[in-house]
Amino acid sequence: MIRPILHRVAQALLVALMVGVLTFALMRSLPGDMAWRVAAGRYGYDITDAAVMEQVRQSLALDQPAALALLSWFGDLLRLDLGVSLISELPVVDEIAHQLGASVTLALTALLLSVLLGPPLGVLAGLRPGGGLDRALFALSITLRALPQFVIGLLLIYGLAIVFGLLPASGHGEAGHVVLPALTLAIGLAAVSCRVARDATVAVTTSGYYRFGETKGLRPLDNFLRHGLRNIAVPIVTYLGVQLVYLIEGVVVVETLFAWPGIGHALVHAILARDVPMIQGTALVMGLMFVLLNAGVDVMCGALDPRRRTS
Amino acid sequence: MTAFQRLRFGAAWGLCLAAALITSPDANAAPAAKPDDRALTIVARWELKNADPSVNGYAFTRMEVAETLVDADGNGTPKPGLAEGWEASADGLTWRFRLRTGVTFHDGTTMTADHVVTALNHARAKPGSLSKAPIQAITADKGAVVIRLAEPFSPLLSFLADSASQILAPASYDDKGNVTHVIGTGPYRVAEFKPPQHLVVTRHDSYWGGPASIAKATYLATHRSETRTVMVESGDAQIVFNLDPASVQRLSRNPKLSVQAVPIPRVISVKINAGHPLLSDLRARQALSLAIDRTGIAVGILRQPETAATQLFPPSLGAWHDSGLPPLTQNVERAKALLAEMGWKPGSNGVLEKDGKRLRLTLRTYPDRPELPPVATALADQWRAIGVDVSIAIGHFSDILSGHQDGSLELGLIARSLAVAPDPLGTLMQDFGPKGGDWGAMNWSNPALTEAIDRILRSQQAEESAAAKRAVGAILHQELPTIPVVWYTQTAAVSKTLKGFEIDPFERSYLLSRLRWVE
Amino acid sequence: MIRLSRGQWAGVALLLLLALFALGVPQVVPGDPTRQSLSNALLPPGGPFLFGTDPFGRDMLLRLAAAVRLSLGIALLTTALAGVIGVALGVLAGACGGWVDRALCGVADTLLALPGLLLVLLLVAIAPGRFWPLYLGVSLVLWVEYFRMTRAAALRIAASPAVEASRLLGFGPFYRFRRHYWPELAPITLTVGAFGSATSVMSVAALGFVNVGVRPPTPELGQMMIELMPYYNEAPLILAQPILVVVLLVLALNLIAGGKTQ
Repeated sequence: MIRPILHRVAQALLVALMVGVLTFALMRSLPGDMAWRVAAGRYGYDITDAAVMEQVRQSLALDQPAALALLSWFGDLLRLDLGVSLISELPVVDEIAHQLGASVTLALTALLLSVLLGPPLGVLAGLRPGGGLDRALFALSITLRALPQFVIGLLLIYGLAIVFGLLPASGHGEAGHVVLPALTLAIGLAAVSCRVARDATVAVTTSGYYRFGETKGLRPLDNFLRHGLRNIAVPIVTYLGVQLVYLIEGVVVVETLFAWPGIGHALVHAILARDVPMIQGTALVMGLMFVLLNAGVDVMCGALDPRRRTS
Repeated sequence: MTAFQRLRFGAAWGLCLAAALITSPDANAAPAAKPDDRALTIVARWELKNADPSVNGYAFTRMEVAETLVDADGNGTPKPGLAEGWEASADGLTWRFRLRTGVTFHDGTTMTADHVVTALNHARAKPGSLSKAPIQAITADKGAVVIRLAEPFSPLLSFLADSASQILAPASYDDKGNVTHVIGTGPYRVAEFKPPQHLVVTRHDSYWGGPASIAKATYLATHRSETRTVMVESGDAQIVFNLDPASVQRLSRNPKLSVQAVPIPRVISVKINAGHPLLSDLRARQALSLAIDRTGIAVGILRQPETAATQLFPPSLGAWHDSGLPPLTQNVERAKALLAEMGWKPGSNGVLEKDGKRLRLTLRTYPDRPELPPVATALADQWRAIGVDVSIAIGHFSDILSGHQDGSLELGLIARSLAVAPDPLGTLMQDFGPKGGDWGAMNWSNPALTEAIDRILRSQQAEESAAAKRAVGAILHQELPTIPVVWYTQTAAVSKTLKGFEIDPFERSYLLSRLRWVE
Repeated sequence: MIRLSRGQWAGVALLLLLALFALGVPQVVPGDPTRQSLSNALLPPGGPFLFGTDPFGRDMLLRLAAAVRLSLGIALLTTALAGVIGVALGVLAGACGGWVDRALCGVADTLLALPGLLLVLLLVAIAPGRFWPLYLGVSLVLWVEYFRMTRAAALRIAASPAVEASRLLGFGPFYRFRRHYWPELAPITLTVGAFGSATSVMSVAALGFVNVGVRPPTPELGQMMIELMPYYNEAPLILAQPILVVVLLVLALNLIAGGKTQ
């Protein structure tokens, strides 16, 4: 039990180190004067001019050597201080909590919806491979995956919000607002996870132990519940666990479309405005989340499949 | 699956409808609000950053949280705000502002001259109009505020009306002079401020001008115009600003909405490096201007024929717009003739050449204003028709500013507000001064223009000032240090459940307190 | 050898059709896909322009063909780049094992932990308006998948008696790769490659949506959709074109990847 934990801790440290150095190096190698970008990000195009830029340059201490700035970032990190955003001048921790929090809410809702939609259909299709449902689902899934996210989003908005008026089109703050963006994401996820579930089901039901269960006279439902379900769940949990991270960082298109204050949107803006502390903080938190989630997936798979614990 | 998988999800109607069945109870769960405390939602594209008036002050004056000493009417003329009235000394160096009495901040403090002085001094230390005014001192004197100037400065009133000069309560500032909470005097107070998207305000019941009718309003920053349009169509928002041209037509046909459009003092123009060897000749700038199909751009891209710029100042800037000037028009033949006169000859691909050099330029622009890239593509295409090969570089707007500073800019397509403060003079001083300006002339100056601006600054007589304004307009029209392309129109779609809506052409306020719900 | 299923053949046929369209149109209809004519804006399909025109009066037929060329080009390049790196390192890790494997896995794990979006955005910001950061960024995100799949297969193959026998008989590493590894890896590479290409097409389109990536007036499918989006009511047939093309393109690639390989 100790070794895997140590392994994850080492990985987390490595990620923190890499994120810090890599984002810092990349940010410093970006073209253009950082002071201009920061001034522009803060004051917008009507106010920014050379005088404002100079004022910002003074306040930022940009002439500080790069190595020193990096070291001080790591120093602050040890004290669990992610610094202050160059643009909003608010603590990075607060910004991340607000924006990443919104993304996590969205991603979790999407994941939940997709679990309701995808895997059950996939398992049903996999129980009778080549059947009508299997073929229909294959066609549906492959078409859905070919539709760009923003097209789905707009179709949903147009259908559910404008024509039928069932749900708020976009915005943030009330419970109903999360449904459409989450659904947009969930549909794409379900299109893939139903295939994963279907393939896993086919693999399990054609396996020796499952056949044996049938032969020894278990009723199909009992056989499925006792020998099938857990084995099918392992690849699905693995798949969804990995997807959660990608969802959180990758919802930028959906965030933009639905006016959702998420981290993808924040990253795009932070890079444009050269908000180094914000980018480093976000990348760090997201990297650590990835490590944590992987650990979580391992634990869950171990719980589902005791064989993995011994190996 | 790969890490990029997240960018490729799909959908179809079958699943949508299934999901709708699952999720629809959620939408019906909210009980219908009583008509009186219905909340209003306003959607526009500008994102919120923080509470600093020099950064986001406009958001708080637009939502009527904060007010300024001097206000402006629909023509940009100064009118009393938190100051009831004012007098200038004969030499124009001392201004005395009498404060309105009985004004309370949202935290209950009564506004005094000292508070106003503190707020103005904080504003002066930050970027914004006031930092550019020749102010020597701001002091409180027997309940009035006295501003001493180093030299006469006629746009002072306008600078005081700038949203960055808003008057906040002492509790708004931390010990470094940064604003942490916006505690203003307006008819609405901040209930919730969540950058980058949300600002919720509620009615300030002891407002000096009497309480407003609408109890609560939310500002929501939404970047994409498609999303904004959809929000007003679906009834999620009651007021939506910055409509895209295609949506204006569709929304005007919607029986539940009314669409308003008002010209605003912002202009899309081409900033020119007049020091560039290919552009220093006035004829080259004229040729570029003559090649532009302004009506085509106004109709085809902005879909508002009346926005085609005939001169720099739009008609809405009454005192500056000079209807006597010959309008800027397209004349491709004349443009070609001017370039031929300069010695340019058609080469391969129809691009002009001289001494083995091709007439090739780069036009920088930025996507923050979504109409700029399409206008840039249209311009490049129209310039190609007269043999000028222009490539477009869409980047960050600061690339234009830094290009001005390091001299690398050739052409820049910009959307410049002529009235950050209601009087365009401040902008003009900044853009067309003797050394040019980051957002204005580049390697170009004109002593007559500098002198005319100076006359307006010192002038205390309307006729003298008007003549000088016409002179400024004529010189800019003649010399083309920047080439005006189209003027701006602010558009908004408003739900018919509201009445009393108006667009402030100076974009200082959403005029919330004049709105009421239709019974 | 790779034997293709019916679904895969359908995918290949569809892809060839799209490629033919992309390469054939400029031969048959000469013209410039960026040429504007504001007086011919938003003409419906079937008139003087077969596919109609966009809001700038540009020929949709030419623009679509150019956009498909660009998308296919990006997909091909990123897939090739990611594939070569991923397969090579995957075989190396699987076949060598030991510290080589551990080091390479460490790199892959860390790269996975970095937000892929951040990587692409940063690279694109380094050289705005150029194509190479897009290629590089998308490849950097994609190669990990090849690596993991290839490594898993290579581990299995390396432990097989056939490889052991070849090694004892004194055959060199290149022979062993050709004889033992490649036949098993080829179908995996095909599947991952097709998925990767589909991903790259979608990613570039999605980047266009947030104003990152290819610059106008270069026709790019994602950007065309965004430009046309406001006209969904007025010119639905024009807006439908780039969407349909993306759907067909990704569908073809998914079909190639999705069928069973034997």
